[in-house]
Parts: sequence; C-alpha cells; structure tokens
Amino acid sequence: MIDVARVDFWAANGSGPFHRASVLSKLLFLAFVVAAAVSARNPYPLAVGTGMLIVLAVLAGLPWAVIGVLSLYSAVFALFYAVSLRGDGWTYALLLLKAVTPAYAVGMVIVSTPYPKIFSFLSAFLPEILAAGLFMTYRTLFLLLDMMDNFGTAIRLRGGFSPGNIVKNSANIAKGIGALLVRAVERSSRLYAVMVVRGYNGKMAETTIGTIGLNDWLPVGTGIAVLATIILWR
Amino acid sequence: MTHMHIPDGILPVWLWVSGFLIMACLLAVSLYRLRGMDMKKKIPLLGVLSAVMLVAMSLEIIPIAYHLNLSVATGILLGPSLGFVAAVIVNLMLAFLGHGGITVIGLNTILLGTEAMLGHTFFYLLTKRLSTYWRASLSTVLALLLVSLLLIAIVGISHVDPQAYSHEHGHDAAGTSSLANFAIVVLSLGVIGWIIEGAITGAVIRFISQVRPDLLAHTLHKDTCRTDPSRCDL
Repeated sequence: MIDVARVDFWAANGSGPFHRASVLSKLLFLAFVVAAAVSARNPYPLAVGTGMLIVLAVLAGLPWAVIGVLSLYSAVFALFYAVSLRGDGWTYALLLLKAVTPAYAVGMVIVSTPYPKIFSFLSAFLPEILAAGLFMTYRTLFLLLDMMDNFGTAIRLRGGFSPGNIVKNSANIAKGIGALLVRAVERSSRLYAVMVVRGYNGKMAETTIGTIGLNDWLPVGTGIAVLATIILWR
Repeated sequence: MTHMHIPDGILPVWLWVSGFLIMACLLAVSLYRLRGMDMKKKIPLLGVLSAVMLVAMSLEIIPIAYHLNLSVATGILLGPSLGFVAAVIVNLMLAFLGHGGITVIGLNTILLGTEAMLGHTFFYLLTKRLSTYWRASLSTVLALLLVSLLLIAIVGISHVDPQAYSHEHGHDAAGTSSLANFAIVVLSLGVIGWIIEGAITGAVIRFISQVRPDLLAHTLHKDTCRTDPSRCDL
C-alpha cells in the first residue's frame, strides 16, 4: 500500500494551482480521464493524454515522478490481466495505458486534496453511515499504522520474525492483529464517548459540494482535453 | 486474492456498471436491515474494523506475495449487513489510495462483501462441536474458495468481447481468452493464501473470543453476553 502519511502531507501542504482548485473540479477532471481511458481503442492518443497529465503535474508543482511510480503499480495488475488475453503488443500497450492514465489522474488528485475534503464532498451524496464511516476509517488508519509499526519493531526485536518460516510468522501476525483489533476497539469506544460528550448526533462530516471558480479551469480543462484527444483521434 | 486489482478502463462498461448497480442494491438491503440499530454507536467500530482491513491489506506474506483481507473476520465481528458496509468503505478508500480502479469499486465490493457475509454465515452455521479456531478457519477457507470462483466467473464474463482490445486494422489474434489458465493460476496460488488467511483469521478470532468474547456477539454495543450468554458460548 502507498504511504498514506506522505500523501496526506503533500495534500495538506501544497499551494500550487492544482491544490487551489476545488474538489468538484478535480473529481470532474478524474471523471473525464476515466471516461477517456474507458472509451480508448488506440494506445497513441492515450499516451498523449498521459503526457498531458505529466506536463500538468510538473507545471502544478506536484510530485510527478512519485505519482508515476504509484501509477505503475496498477500497470503490474493490468499486465496480469493482459496475459490472460492472448494479445499482441498493441493489446498490451492499450491495456497498460488504460491502467496507467487514470491511475496517474487519481495520484494527482490525492496528492493535492486532503482526504477529509474528498469525504466532505462525497458525504453530500452518500448515506450518512458511509460518509461518517469513511471519515472514521481515515482517522483510525493513521493510529493503526503507527501501532502496527510498533508491533513490527517489537516482533523483530523479540525474535518473533523468521524469514521463510510461514507458520511461525503467521501465528505471530495473527496475535498482533488480534491485539491491535482489541486495542483499536477500545480506542473507538473512548472516541465514541468523547464524540458524544462533544455533541455528536450522528452527523459528523461537513457536506460541501462547492462551485466551479477561477482556480478550476486547469483541472477541468485538462480533463476535457484528454477526453477530446481520445474521441477525436480514433 | 479475492478482490480484483484490475485498474480503470479495462473491464467492459456494462460489467462494471452492473457491478455498481448490484452493489447499490446490496447496500440498500444492508442499510434497510441496519435501520433499527443505533447507528451512532456503530460508526466508530465500523471505522476501526474497516481500518483494520486496510492495515491487514498492507501486510504481505512475502514468499507468495499474498496480502491478507480479514474480510471474514470483519464479517464475523460486525455481522453480514455492517460487514458489507465495511466492504464498501474499504473499496472506496482503496480506490482513493490508488490501490485499484474507481470503476471496479462495485465489483470489488461485491467480492469483498460476499466474503464477509459468507464468512459470518458459515461461522454461525458450523457445528459448535468445532473449536472457535476451526470454525473461523473453515469459514474463511470456504468463503474465500466460493468468492474466488465468483472472481473467475467475473473475469470469464469480462472476456466476452475480447476483440475490444485488438488493433482495428487486423491484429485479430488479440483477445483469445485463456480463462482456464487464469483459473488454474488463481486456484493453485489462491489455495496457499486461503490456508494462511484461514489460519490467521482462526487465531485472531480465537484471541478475541478469549479476551473480548462480547465482540463476537455482533449485536453491537449491547452487553449480549450478559443478557444472552448462549451467544458468547464459543
């Protein structure tokens, strides 16, 4: 899994044009790029579209190389799928670009938008339990990752990790997850009590849809340009 | 192993749209079944268990490149309806972490949610003559086996239009599906993963039954063990 804390840092600390754009415009950008990937039947325009995204990431001061590495993660799985089709080089190129292009767009969105803002937007459309559950999951994830790091260090220091010994490692991981889960449930109960004391009434996420403004032309325009390239270059 | 790491733009549109529709129907049924419960009290626990699933997915069993899901453990602890809601949250989070496509959220939620629902059902159907460990382990292996078959079926269905990825000017060798090979790879590698996941889930549930047996009575936040001791008689 990607380093959530690092992504969160980039999202919260940038000040480039992509960071200033609204969540609505960035999700529209994502929708256009996904639509482009879905409708593509030719790898060349898709490669041009990916190039546009990389140029935009560079101009917007986003960590374009890291996003590229993250998007290659999806290429690995696309390759597995491509192998299950007995295709030629054209097929492989098309499938890989279909995977990499939207993954790159997702990367651009997540390194420039704090997750709470995304959840806040989504909560306007999702059932309350889902919106609040997303926020709680995000909040708890960092706590759990820290606890898991400590557990990993402890298990190595105490000789609980044996490379190649799956049985022993699995048993120790299971105990760690069990302890982690019990501690996490206790923390959640405390968190719930604190939330109730502070007036929690079942609605926790601020619901903001937002509007398209001057800062939004860059993501929306780029998304439209990528989609137009795919549609016009058949 | 039993959720698809297939990125956006690869599966046919009708398939992932159907995935979203089926997910919406199952989510609606789950939310309907949860309507009588105190949502405010469940949201923290839902968040914790969703986060635990995400953390578990970051733990890779290195020799076979298998990552845990803990979906069955979540189903056993949360119940089928809330387990499905957790699957929705986990897949939304994964998509926004760049770990899987946005268009496959629906299909992946069906797979992960089915694991949680089947795991819970098997756990409570299996004879109580078995120990907690074996009930949880067998439930996990059975649920993962059935969901792997569902995964193979989905990939098989996705191959109905293999020419979609081929060159329009005659590279017609593309797309001859090799579903049998895919099934062999998934089932042969998967069985090792199911056994490991079963062993770990069994150990986690046994650990929880020893230290917090009330968590296994999935009527959440009620002192079920005290009011109905048979529910905790594991």
